Amino acid sequence: MNLYFSTIALAMPSWMESIKQDFYISFISNDRYIVFAKGLLMTLRLTFFAAIFGIIFGVLFALMKLSRTKKGKRTVFSVFASIYIDVIRGTPAVLQLLILYFAVLPATASKELAAVIAFSINSSAYVAEIVRAGIQAVDHGQTEAGRSLGLSQRQTMTYIVIPQAMKNILPALVNEFIVLLKETAVAGYIGVMDLTKVSDFVVSRTFIAFMPLIGTAVIYFTIVKILSFFLGKLERRLRQSDSR
Amino acid sequence: MIRVENLTKNFGSLEVLKGINYEIKKGEKIVVVGPSGSGKSTFLRCLNLLEKPTSGKIWFEDQLITDPKVNIDKIRTQVGMVFQQFNLFNNLKVLDNITLAPVKLKLQTKEEAQENAMRLLERVGLSDKAYAYPSQLSGGQKQRIAIVRSLAMNPKVMLFDEPTSALDPEMVGEVLYVMRELAESGMTMFVVTHEMGFAREVATRVVFMDEGQIVEEKTPDEFFTNPESPRLRDFLARVL
Repeated sequence: MNLYFSTIALAMPSWMESIKQDFYISFISNDRYIVFAKGLLMTLRLTFFAAIFGIIFGVLFALMKLSRTKKGKRTVFSVFASIYIDVIRGTPAVLQLLILYFAVLPATASKELAAVIAFSINSSAYVAEIVRAGIQAVDHGQTEAGRSLGLSQRQTMTYIVIPQAMKNILPALVNEFIVLLKETAVAGYIGVMDLTKVSDFVVSRTFIAFMPLIGTAVIYFTIVKILSFFLGKLERRLRQSDSR
Repeated sequence: MIRVENLTKNFGSLEVLKGINYEIKKGEKIVVVGPSGSGKSTFLRCLNLLEKPTSGKIWFEDQLITDPKVNIDKIRTQVGMVFQQFNLFNNLKVLDNITLAPVKLKLQTKEEAQENAMRLLERVGLSDKAYAYPSQLSGGQKQRIAIVRSLAMNPKVMLFDEPTSALDPEMVGEVLYVMRELAESGMTMFVVTHEMGFAREVATRVVFMDEGQIVEEKTPDEFFTNPESPRLRDFLARVL
């Protein structure tokens, strides 16, 4: 009995000791935490800019897709936007990134810029569909009321329909940006040193796989949790304003 | 003021309006009644081209508005419309609901529009709701504000598309009261409704529509006491 306990007591420290050592090698030695911090910063930067451009072009493509001629037929813009959204949603983001960087942009283009453009293009297609659904979900009576007062189609959209659509789709948009954050993990394919690429780099240097990879997963998870926390807060606030 | 000639409207293969001829003169209060599906709402919605006629001509003050070259937005500023479902702008406060169109269309300055709006709200007894959102109002309050929103444009004619049909019974009165007052002030009105009492008391002419056509048109007294066509007699027997 006594012997049994003392064996465990001896085993525990050595098990913990090896984790401690792995952690030290993966994150502390050779200032690796700075490399990780830089990777995290890169990931956040890519996500931030892709989200901004994604939303700008997403709204633009949604409006294009919904545009109609006076006779109620689809415009050239509408057909173009539909094809664009179809193609982007129908192909993998990694492939879009590779095509853009290696086949479209000049060889001198910066990797980070290529990644931002690629993720913006990808995100804009998804945002466009979210915005389109949001606009179509606004009661048609709102448009009719606007038009009956003499407001033009554009004025009705700008002052009445789009503000209501935006409020309704805010949760879906934040969700899209959470997806986008994780999507940027493929930026390493063209050599951008984002968080995932950094962890991969550390694995290849230290020959320790578990610690850097799990550590990176924890970082992503934490950021997503923080984002969802604010998303939850936002949704509760929006719901309050409905029943004011 | 408004003249309609041979107006037809089809939804796909369904003929909703089968050749309507009508004229609304300044100051008249026309009330249109009829069974559901008779085309009365569609007729009303054609008058400001919210519904595009399949064929026929509509004049507003000697201007042919069914001509595709006409700027319909300009015409609509002079034709107020009140909907069954109120359709207040949910994202805007009551005051902004009222001032949005006159200000954005540069018909009034912001100050003028707000002053005007407050005066109109006072008139319908809702000045304390100027900074409320539509979601905070009752149906009757919403509809009274929808009427004010249209009036703020200083329209020459007001169209009412079943303005009390979506209201709880105890709120019908307050909306009809505002409409009655408006009628007394001399506004030209075109009202589609099921409120026979309103038709009897306020209308200068009552129109009975059935199956996409105007079947009968009379003064209210004649209409209710001396209906001619069997279809109208049948209708009145069921609703009165």
